[in-house]
Amino acid sequence: MSAPAPTRTARPRKPPPGPSAILGVVSIVGITIFAVTWINFSLAPLYTNLTGGWVVIREALQPDWGYLRWWCPADDAGCNPTNRIRLWKALLETFNIAVLASMAGCVLAMGMSLLASSVSAPKPVVRVVKVFLSAVRSLPDIAYALIFVAAMSPGPLPGVLALTIFNMGIVAKLTSESIDAVNPGPIEAADAAGATRWQRARTAIVPQVLPNYLSYSLYVFELNIRASAVIGFVGAGGIGTIINLEFNRGNYDRLSAIVIVIFVVVVALDLTSQTLRKRLV
Amino acid sequence: MSTTRPKAPSKLPATLGMLGMLALLILCAVMLERANWDRLPGVPGEVLGYLAKMAEGVASDPRAEPTGRGVAPGDTYGTWWWIAFDKMIDSIAMAWIGTVIGASLSFPLAFLAANNTAPGPLRFAIRGLFNGIRAIPDLVFAILVMLPIFGLTPTAGAMALGVNSIGTLGKLTLESIEAIDPGPMEAVRASGATWLQTMRVAVVPQMLPETMAFWLYRFEVNIRASAVLGVLGAGGIGKVLSDVIGHRLWERAGITLLVVIVVTVIVDQISASVRHRIIHGSSSSRRGRADEPEPLPVTVTA
Repeated sequence: MSAPAPTRTARPRKPPPGPSAILGVVSIVGITIFAVTWINFSLAPLYTNLTGGWVVIREALQPDWGYLRWWCPADDAGCNPTNRIRLWKALLETFNIAVLASMAGCVLAMGMSLLASSVSAPKPVVRVVKVFLSAVRSLPDIAYALIFVAAMSPGPLPGVLALTIFNMGIVAKLTSESIDAVNPGPIEAADAAGATRWQRARTAIVPQVLPNYLSYSLYVFELNIRASAVIGFVGAGGIGTIINLEFNRGNYDRLSAIVIVIFVVVVALDLTSQTLRKRLV
Repeated sequence: MSTTRPKAPSKLPATLGMLGMLALLILCAVMLERANWDRLPGVPGEVLGYLAKMAEGVASDPRAEPTGRGVAPGDTYGTWWWIAFDKMIDSIAMAWIGTVIGASLSFPLAFLAANNTAPGPLRFAIRGLFNGIRAIPDLVFAILVMLPIFGLTPTAGAMALGVNSIGTLGKLTLESIEAIDPGPMEAVRASGATWLQTMRVAVVPQMLPETMAFWLYRFEVNIRASAVLGVLGAGGIGKVLSDVIGHRLWERAGITLLVVIVVTVIVDQISASVRHRIIHGSSSSRRGRADEPEPLPVTVTA
């Protein structure tokens, strides 16, 4: 071809950053500076107090494996069999709490999510239920645990109730979003056949969101296993009770053994639930 | 020609599934020791009673002086509102710093862990680190590492949240790196760019919006998590909540919970709208792309 090759010119100037990029960077830096001064955040203890922390960390790095035994060694006369089994009982309690709370929470959530989507419920109801759900979700699990432990006596039941409400908030939000996105075809068909609101939900909406719903349910079950390490701290049962006990006694070697057990259990349950979730969706 | 209705498909698998779940439910309920199931029917009434007391506290005149237990001399309802608000800001500051720490550490690490950018076998080690951190509850970092070093301060809480955020944020960031279009990377490499230049020019612009949305989401999660660390002694709203509810000061609990709910909802709304803007562009260019689904939180914390 005869067209002359374009002569090489200077590099084009780089476009200046847009106003929202500048605003973003300025606000990130601004909020960070505010937060750091507000709580006096300081990394100084890392080198001034490392020895103080190091004592604990060194103890934690040597887990007390003997603590995990559920039997009494033959040569230990002072060993109490009921104490030995306590850790494993607490772990079982954690599992039970998680199962009960995720099932109860998810059943409530299905009803709530149908009320929280304009596909399945009238507008005013949706508005009220949505406000209610976002209030429920704004409180952390520990707040519910505190309330139920204060209302009843400490034990696993307040833990189940606290996590039930917490789970309901999460699953209802996620499921109602799935309901918003369902294929309208089956709904129109159900309407055309004269279905009532309930029949329409049961035959045209629920079957469409069921795989997602089950996957969310497994997800909150995973969350609950972790959460019960926390809620036990305030007396709501499960493995957290033992963590609290050993933390207050300063037995960091036992704590790290417990942590390793929790770690193994969480990873095993996560893997199981993830394979199940992959098959569902 | 109309025939009889077709036979309904078998419901056996669904029924079996339901029965299995029911069996598991009953088994777990029976195994739960010292559960005091007999107290369950009384709970709704009791909780409603407490809610009424909480509402009384909220409705009281802020200038009035409360009576009863647990009232420091000179305290008014207004003092309680103010303390709750002040401590809530503490918690938010803790969550923000935790998120900044988590984001700034997980960002470079994710590049060394993604299949399409990591230079070598290093990526297995870093993936292992992310997964390991994700399996440990944040409370554990707090009590085993941060509280001993930093003492009972919000700094300890912020550090615990920061380390814990590395796991989730790292995993999500590396997933969004792996999801980029490989074209720009090949083009930049073909023109002789170094690894660092390739990342900066071809990878970061593609994954940054999604990653920033994850950071904001994690901030929302951290606000809730900071309450737990407060109960352990790291300060913030968790400490107030556990003191107030633990001593059954329901009027004050109502005020504190309302502050938590309102502030959290406001922060969530701001964060959600910024996330939406980052992912979908400004409101003027949103038209036509609005039906793109937002990333579901379920993929975010999982």
